[in-house]
Amino acid sequence: MPPGFRLFDRVIVVVQFLLPILGLLLFWELAVRTGLAQASILPAPSTILARAVELLGLTGERAVLFGHIGASLKRALLAFALAVAVGVPLGFLLGLSREAQLWVSPILSLMLPLPAVAWTPILLVVFGPGDLTIVIVCFLGAVFPVLYSTMQGVRACGTQPVWVVRSMGGSRLDVLRRVLIPASLPALITGFKLGMAHSWRTLVAAEMLAALSSGLGYMIFSARSYMDVSTMFVGVVCLAAIGMAIEHLLFGTLERATIHRWYVRDAGTGGRQ
Amino acid sequence: MTMETAAAPRRARPFALPMALVRPVVSLGLLFGLWEIAARTGTISAFLFPPPTAILASLWVSAGPNGDPPFGTLLDIALSLYRLLAGVGLALVLGSLIGLAIGLTRWGRAIFKPIISAIMPIPTLAWTPILLLVFGIDNRTTITVVFIAASFEIIYNVVTGIEMMTRKTYWVAASMGASRIQTLRYVIVPGILPYLITGLKLGVGYAWRALIAAEMLAASSHGLGFMIYDAQEYMDMKSIYGGILTISVLGLLIERGVVGALEKRTIEKWGVNVER
Repeated sequence: MPPGFRLFDRVIVVVQFLLPILGLLLFWELAVRTGLAQASILPAPSTILARAVELLGLTGERAVLFGHIGASLKRALLAFALAVAVGVPLGFLLGLSREAQLWVSPILSLMLPLPAVAWTPILLVVFGPGDLTIVIVCFLGAVFPVLYSTMQGVRACGTQPVWVVRSMGGSRLDVLRRVLIPASLPALITGFKLGMAHSWRTLVAAEMLAALSSGLGYMIFSARSYMDVSTMFVGVVCLAAIGMAIEHLLFGTLERATIHRWYVRDAGTGGRQ
Repeated sequence: MTMETAAAPRRARPFALPMALVRPVVSLGLLFGLWEIAARTGTISAFLFPPPTAILASLWVSAGPNGDPPFGTLLDIALSLYRLLAGVGLALVLGSLIGLAIGLTRWGRAIFKPIISAIMPIPTLAWTPILLLVFGIDNRTTITVVFIAASFEIIYNVVTGIEMMTRKTYWVAASMGASRIQTLRYVIVPGILPYLITGLKLGVGYAWRALIAAEMLAASSHGLGFMIYDAQEYMDMKSIYGGILTISVLGLLIERGVVGALEKRTIEKWGVNVER
């Protein structure tokens, strides 16, 4: 097929994808304009867009949106880094020692059905509202996917490659460096992706409950008290867009640079949220 | 992400303790025992970390007739379960219908797929403040959050179930003169059922977590999430820990007990094991 047609095909795919979304937005806009939906509860997309422009500081007002986004990103990334620092070593330990895993798993399975947000009341009493509480809640949300993915990656490696390296005189460090880390890398990256997604998704709720003055969750929740619905929608769209950007741009690039290049098969992708 | 796998067969000893039972008792006992001792001796603050026995005692009182309100914890549990059931039930019906539309029809795929992939990245709980405006502080807010949390997994799994079915099954049904309704009834519905149950299992897990958080943000009265958040305002640590313990145990029971049993049954009946 000539390249021109391939580009045409791609454009068609994109248009087909965007058409229903645009249709929905148009229907929404019309519903508000004709008074079918109440503008004070469901503002028209054009109103939301105008509000976004204002919040971005394009009309000369203070650009508050960037401040909120920055604060949120900082907290989510910090929590994610902590989750990796704790989850990966613990995952290696539990993945390598079946006995340790069997003993620890009752505690883990008691922790697992708990949403990370449920710890917020305790943290609020101990640390009060603020960054520390939010970061710990997000950490608790992010650490389990990282831990489980690491554990699965290490376990999937199997014993034979370890025996091979050991029998050829490799030290335990060699086993770690040349067998375990490369073998578990796809699962590790999947775990990182999931962990960051969980951190980001937990962040909203944590910020609504515990933020003092900044963050997207705080922006949404405080806009509610002024019935400033368009700001709320701007916040929701920002949350979704940044979440998507982290997942596809950041981790997508990382996966293409590592997994897709070094490994034949793609690592199993995990769940959502 | 289940943890337990069949233990390696060991040589049967005459008085071997069932390790599968011993391990949880010992590890959880150790955790709570150390906590108890540390709190009782004052190594850790008994206000911030009340000893487990005190937590259980306060849970026992608040679940009984002398609680404030009487049988408060039971009421919280009942309301949380009601919201969970209502939201998940809604997700099961609407999610399967949307899944069927995406999997079976061209228009369904063309319309719903883009819209779903646009909505899915929104964190479920970000809907809460908007829903609060629409419905106010009401059960409908929490139920809708539960519905949103559960429906994506159900839709995804129903679509996967349809895609996994081989074309030949359709051909067989068609060649024997099955009508569209008959194909749906005898081929598609049994074919997607195991996948639907997997979706349900994952969806219920997400829904339970979302429900607790939504209740903290939006419940007017009662519900486990509301209970722990309310207790925080009075710095009633024992109630918070009791609530967290209840949430965790109930969540385990729902995921392992109810949905797990359902899954086992269908797998036994149809012999399909859905890998995810």
